[in-house]
This record gives sequence, structure tokens and C-alpha cells, in this order.
Amino acid sequence: MALEDYKNMVARCARCSYCKWIPFANVQNWRFAKGCPSVEYNKFQSFAAGGRLAATLSFLEGRSSCTEGFQKIVYSCLMDGMCDVACKVGRYNMEPLEVMRELRYRMVELGQYMPEHAILVDSLRQNDNTMCEPKANRGQWAEGLDVKNVTAEQCDVVFHAGCRYSYDKDLWNVPRTAVSLLKKAGVNIGIMGKDETCCGGRVNDMGFAGELTKYAESTIQAWKSAGVKEVVTSCADCFHSFIRLYPALGSKIKVYHTVEYIEKLIKEGKIKFSKEIPMTVTYHDPCHLGRRGESYIPWNGKEIKMRGQIICYDPPKPRYSGSRGVYEAPRNVLKSIPGVELIEMTRIREYAWCCGAGGGVPEAYPDFSSWVAGERIAEANSTGANMLVTACSRCERNFKDAVEKNHEKIKVMDIVELVQQAI
Amino acid sequence: METLPRDIYRALEDIVGPDYITEEPATLDSYAYQLDAETSRGGSKFLPRPLAALLPGSTEDVQAIVRACNRFKLKYKAYSTGWGVQSSTRGEDTIQLDLRRMDHILEIDEKNMYAVVEPYVIASTLQAEAMKHGLNCHIIGAGASHSVLAAATSFMGTGPDAIYMGWSPQTMLALEWVMPNGEIMRTGSLSTSKNWFCGEGPGPSIRGISRGFMGAQGGLGVFTKCAVKLSAWPGPKVMPIEGQIPYYITSLPDNFKSHTIGFPSWKAYADALFKLYDAEIGYILHRQFNMWGDELQAAILKIRTDSSYSLEDIDRLLEKPEIQKQTEEMRISFQVILAGQSMADLNFQERALDEILAETGGWKVAAMEDPLMQKWTMLYLLKLCYKSLNFIYGGCYAGTYSIKGNPDWVTSAVVPVAKQVMGEHQKKGMIADTGCDAMMSSISDIGGGGRTWMEQFSFYDPADKKSIEGALEYLKAAVESSRVRGWPRSYDTDYVEAFGPGRVNRLNNMPYPQRAILQWQRKIKEAIDPNNTGEGSYSTSEDSPK
Repeated sequence: MALEDYKNMVARCARCSYCKWIPFANVQNWRFAKGCPSVEYNKFQSFAAGGRLAATLSFLEGRSSCTEGFQKIVYSCLMDGMCDVACKVGRYNMEPLEVMRELRYRMVELGQYMPEHAILVDSLRQNDNTMCEPKANRGQWAEGLDVKNVTAEQCDVVFHAGCRYSYDKDLWNVPRTAVSLLKKAGVNIGIMGKDETCCGGRVNDMGFAGELTKYAESTIQAWKSAGVKEVVTSCADCFHSFIRLYPALGSKIKVYHTVEYIEKLIKEGKIKFSKEIPMTVTYHDPCHLGRRGESYIPWNGKEIKMRGQIICYDPPKPRYSGSRGVYEAPRNVLKSIPGVELIEMTRIREYAWCCGAGGGVPEAYPDFSSWVAGERIAEANSTGANMLVTACSRCERNFKDAVEKNHEKIKVMDIVELVQQAI
Repeated sequence: METLPRDIYRALEDIVGPDYITEEPATLDSYAYQLDAETSRGGSKFLPRPLAALLPGSTEDVQAIVRACNRFKLKYKAYSTGWGVQSSTRGEDTIQLDLRRMDHILEIDEKNMYAVVEPYVIASTLQAEAMKHGLNCHIIGAGASHSVLAAATSFMGTGPDAIYMGWSPQTMLALEWVMPNGEIMRTGSLSTSKNWFCGEGPGPSIRGISRGFMGAQGGLGVFTKCAVKLSAWPGPKVMPIEGQIPYYITSLPDNFKSHTIGFPSWKAYADALFKLYDAEIGYILHRQFNMWGDELQAAILKIRTDSSYSLEDIDRLLEKPEIQKQTEEMRISFQVILAGQSMADLNFQERALDEILAETGGWKVAAMEDPLMQKWTMLYLLKLCYKSLNFIYGGCYAGTYSIKGNPDWVTSAVVPVAKQVMGEHQKKGMIADTGCDAMMSSISDIGGGGRTWMEQFSFYDPADKKSIEGALEYLKAAVESSRVRGWPRSYDTDYVEAFGPGRVNRLNNMPYPQRAILQWQRKIKEAIDPNNTGEGSYSTSEDSPK
């Protein structure tokens, strides 16, 4: 759809401000009731979803143009989708996140993207990764693991490391542990090594739709050629791409996040714990695993009106309200580890506060990104937990950086590392 | 003026700092964009664009801005959460003050049962904090997202809990007010001490001047802090929430009970209201679900509590016998939540309610007695957390016939007219056909009972020119049907006539009953805003009282 196709939708925003808060049913206190990091940091109305829809209408009607200020409105969004969830508490005909993504597509078409994003996309085009690192180094994270390469050997399952896990040495323990755990549990798993590429999801959120299509098509073809039936990833960003974006581009592969696979292996008795971890932990739901981790449902329909002015769809439109995200698997895994006590934060599951690493914000607005992470760490601290556990490379990196910057004591760890410690 | 002169901009920037002032057109349009704007703006979603938007962080900031506006003969409009046409700028040459940086709960005085809040504290967060102290706050019909201060100081302010807690003019205690001339007034007990416990002070009631009946809607200075009364909360410190979005429910202790009460006639309905006032029972009394229309409310309740249904299923659901039965049982109905301070108290309230039903021929709607529906209803009405459902159909609604009065008058006089006018316009297809009774109602909109009202919901599509025209045609008919009967004005007039070019004194051409209110408001305006810097939201008449 073109941006113009969303004009009716943006005019239907009731400006109710639900997009700024977690769903009101779940508000438990003043401190952690706000849902939209962007408007909390930038303050002006245009930095909330409702304000962005108004800005979009203003732009479409020629009342506003692509000024630097407009660029900031568009790109100071983490694309975390909290607003989308809160909006859909009561609305059946609004897709604020879609509109914001479409607005970014338009900005890229007009050449109005952020220079920081351009650097990243240039690197991606040259090296197939978003980390500005050489393509040849992509598989180094797996050295010494004795894991198959799916391009050379038959595997049932391909493990996709993703850009950050491939190049961020501090985090290499996560993909290495994930692969080792699955391999040890008897899974016929392999990797693509240096032939793995970016999933394209991250730059798609920045507005570069062409890159998503390019990398989706090549990755889908590579999986097909390798004959793999399932893909597992520890990166929530990649998980979202594979489960939500790729099926629209022809992918039929079964998609798992590592925590889902580990949960399955625990249930099957293929992962058993032998050690107690006396630790209180709190779990951060990554946006792209949680509310944005809902599987794709094909739909080809049109808007209709019933009873005069009730806006409906024929056939009924799939509802991405955040309810189908991956929430139970990480919690079940944590609860199964002996000694671990899970204490929940206020904002969890479909209404979790973002880590600050989405939407190209760390590249374009690093201070904002760091503030968002700091807010989440404050919330984690409020639980009294010793450890903040998550399941995404981007979340982990942003939290670790914020902990260091703010001299916090809480430890940050991926869920698979905790699993490994208990085995 | 097209833009702020640079010297004025710099003066304002010096007050709030460069990060908290903007002239970015898209941002200014995000302030100009408003719910229902299209009915008075020829289809446009945008009210007049402010010259700048500012984010003051303190009372001192606000005071300095207001003084600057007086100096530069500039109008200002402050808002807290900014929902509705009354929030944004209505005329040209106005700056918008967005008070969202002033968002703290300053105090919860458990012993004296009040809270002191800044403008951007919303009901949801105050309620959550109050509950930790065994207290609760009044939430107006707009729901959990409303500014506590704005409702108390600047607009109507009634809601489902009003019978127990009182409505906003009653719950408002002391306040801090940056007056239109830039002076700071502290009212009530705050005027003579540092305490916020009382809204009345020595001399005439400032409450009447500062807010009157409808509130000044941001047109008479800026309220920067206020205290509100809190009421007892006989429930848990944190309301437990279960279920996945949007099917959240709550499980409360046995001292809570919810019912939907149906009646065979409006006469019986009115009789029951009087008896409820006399019996002094009920924590929540509201006619809420009827806002979706008497024909559709049962179907919508099913859609909202069963994930296998969506809006497209409305007509299919209406064919189901159980939905048809519920529809009939709920045609003339309201919701009640009983909250006992003890089980004995709850049992007393239940018995009193049963007695009232026996005397009036009312009934408890069977489908709403289901445990799931009870849990859902209690969450909905106690937190008032689903009010974006006002927009479930076409994206927009306008409220009409919000006329207050005794139950027998409202039900016998207002209801038939509201149904007739709505029915005629629904047939034309430009507003949603929900059934001609889409009237939401506070069963009592004042503490202790004694007065009710009905707000007839008309749903339209703000992206559809014909639907907007149809809605406007309906709104005009609704306003006119009230005017010719001599009924008091309500805020439905806002949608129709508030924003004509150059209109400040709204009712010039429409001789409304009770015109003296507007004449006296003119006197107040002239006395405390001599430079007329507060923009035109505060309704006044051109002529003086005789």
C-alpha cells in the first residue's frame, strides 16, 4: 500500500492518547505506566503515534514538508509497536505502526532518510550486514564449535545468528551456547557461516523496503537449496523478519526462536538441569519476539461499511494486537531452571517497555536510545532482581551499554546463558 | 500573524528553553488535529494551527508565559492531555501550552483523603497509587486517560463513580491558578495555609468563578496544581489482571459484585434511580454499554469477551437467540457495581437492590451474571480503561443531549426526543445504525444521587465527507431540538458552532435559554482577563447581564 492509501486511517485517529500509555487495564503505578518512549523523551505531541498520524495527514495534505523537524518526528520512533497494541485495545480499524513504517518508506523514496542510516545501508549493500563489518568474518563466532554448515552438509535445522551476534564478540557466547545446546540435544542443526546474510528486517524498519525484499528472497532461496525445514534464531529482530515478513515474500519454513526450541527440548526431556542457580531474575520481553513476533496471516481484502458507517473488512482482517507473541516460552524456561525466581516488572508481555534499540534510533539518536534502556533498567531494579534476562541481541547490547554508562549493578544475560549454567 | 515575531519567540524560548518550544509545522498540526474537528471545519481534521507549541515545566514557567502573552497581546491555550475540541486552539494568533512535563502526583494524604496533582497526572495513575492507600479517585466518563486536574478545573467531569465519589466540581479541593493577568491565585484552604484539604476559602466561592458549570476549557488562565478528594477503596492494593489483550478481566474479592439491571419501561427505570438515591447503595452506577446502541450492545459485549468474534460478526451474532434475548433484556438498562466495606455491607446492598427491583419490576440481565462478564464489567467500569471503545465503529463519535436533570424528566422528556431525532438520521445511513438509543448515562452525576443525564452517541466516519455532513446534519438537529424546547445548552453545541471564522462569543446568533450564564461569564472574563489573552474557549455572550 502507498502512504496515500492510509489517509482515511490517519483521519480516523480519535487522538485518545491510548498510544502513549500501556493498556490502562494493566496500570499498577505512576512510575511505570507510560508506554511510548518517543513521546516521553521528546515530549511534543508529534512524537506519539497519534501525533505522528496527524503529522502524516498534515504531510499528505501539503500542510507540512520534509524539514529537519519532520525527519526527527519520523525517525525518533523505536518502531517498538507499543502504541499499536494500546491503540488496538479498543480500535478495530487502525494500524498505527503500519502507517509509521509506510511513512519511512516514503521518506526513503524521497531521499529524506537519516545520514546515519545511509552509512549503515551502504555497508549492508557491500557486506551483507548491518554492523559495518567485513562479510568474510561473518561465521567467526562459530569457530571451534564443530557445527555443520548447511550449504555443504544436510541439516534439518538452520541456526541463523543474525548480524549483531555474528560480529559482537561480547555476545558470541549466546549463539555458541544456543547451537551447542541444540546439538547436544540431538538436533540436526547447522549454520550458514560466512554465507549467512542480514535478514533485512532492521533496515526495513528504517524504511528501506527494497533491502528487505532482496535479503528475504536470497535467504529463502538459500534455505530451500540447503533443504532445511526449520530455522532457529536467538535474535528477536531476525525472528520477527522470518515469522512475520518473510512469509509474505514466499517463505514457508518453520520458524523458532531459541527459547521456543529450548522449551520444546525441556518438555521432551532432552535438556535436563543438574545445577541450582540461586538467583532472582526479571525478564524483558523483546518487542520483536513479543508483540511484534506474531506470525503472518495472509489477507487480501477490502474495507467495507456495515450498518451505514461501521468500518469492517471483507474478508475479516487479521488482527495483530500483540496477543500472539512469544511470551510463555521464555517464562516457562526460566521457571524450569532450579533455584531461579522470576519476578515480573510492571510492563511486560505485549505492553513491555522497549529496550531502546529499535527503529534505527541507536544509530540516529544514541542519547535517546540509551535513556530508553536506562528507564527499563530502573524498572528492572524496582523488582529487586539480581539479573535482567532477555532473548535478543539488540536488547542485550543496549542494556549492557546502559548498565555500564549508568554504573548500575544489575547483571544482563541472555536466557540461553542461564540455561547453560544450570546444566 | 503568520508566524511569531522573532522577539516574541526569543522571549518565550528564554522562559522554557530551546528544547521546549517549537514552530515545526507538522508538530503544530499534531496539536491542531482534533477529535470531531471536522464537523466545524468543513471536513478538515485540523483546528487553527497554533503559532508555537511550548512545554512549560513549572508554575513559574507558566506564569512567565502568561505574563509574556499579556505583554505581547498574544493569546494562549493550555491543555493537559488534550483530548477533544475543547483542548486545542480555536482561533488565530494563539500559542499552545502542552502541560505534559508537569506530570507528578505531589501528595497523597491518606488520613485526609485527598491527592495533589499536576496537570498531566491522569486518572489511571492516580487511581493506581491511591489504591495502595485503600483509596480511589473519581474518573470522569472520558475514562482512565483523562487529566485529573483538567476534569476538576476546566470541564464537565462526571462519570460512573460519581454517585459514590461526587463529580469533578465536588471533588476539586484547593487549587493553584495562574490567572489571565499572570498573578498566581491559591484558592480554598491553600489561600490561608499550606494545606490543600478544602476548595472553599474566605469570601465568595472561587470555584464558581474559576470553573463554573462547564469549566473554562483553558480560556481563563492556567491551572497548575490542584487537590482532589479521594474516596474509600475496599479492594486490593493492586487490581489483579488476567487474560490477553484485549480480553483482560479482573478477579476481585467477594465484597464486589456487578450487575446489569434491565427495566420494562423508562418510568420503572426512573423510579429505580430515585430509590437507589434514597437507598444510598452502589459504588458504580452507569449506563455504559448502551453507548454502542440498544440494537448492538449485546453483540459488542460478545465480541469484546470472545476472541472468536470480530466486528464483521455483528449481524451474524444478532441472529443468535441468546444475543436477541440479551438485546431485549438490556434495552432499558444500566450497570451497577456494589462494593461492600464488609460482606455484611455488600449483602445489605444486594438486598436493597433486590427490593428496588421487586418494587419497580426490574431484573438482573442473566447473561451479565455470568462470572466472566462480571469480571470483565468490573474491570471496565472500575478502571474505565476501555473508553477508546467510544470509537469502535467509524472512528469518531459526537455526544448529544447531555442535559442534566431529575430522572423522571430526563427519561420522559429528553429520551423520546433523543431517540426520535437519532432514529431519523440513522435511517439516512450517514451515521452508524446502532439503534436509536445509544445513550450513555451517569445514573447520578453528583455525589449521593439526585440528578442524571443521557449522552446520545452518534457514530460517524471522519474520513468520509458524506458521513461528516450527515453527522453535522444530525448534530444541528439535536441542538435545535433542545433549543426549541428551552432546554439548557450542552457541549454538543461545541461541535456545531464553536469554530466559525472569528467567532469568540459563540452564541451570538443562537438565543439559548439560560443566556444569563454566558452574560455573567462575560463579566468574569472582563474582570480577570482585561487583555483577553485567554483564547475563546470560555463561553461568553456579547451582551451584559441586565
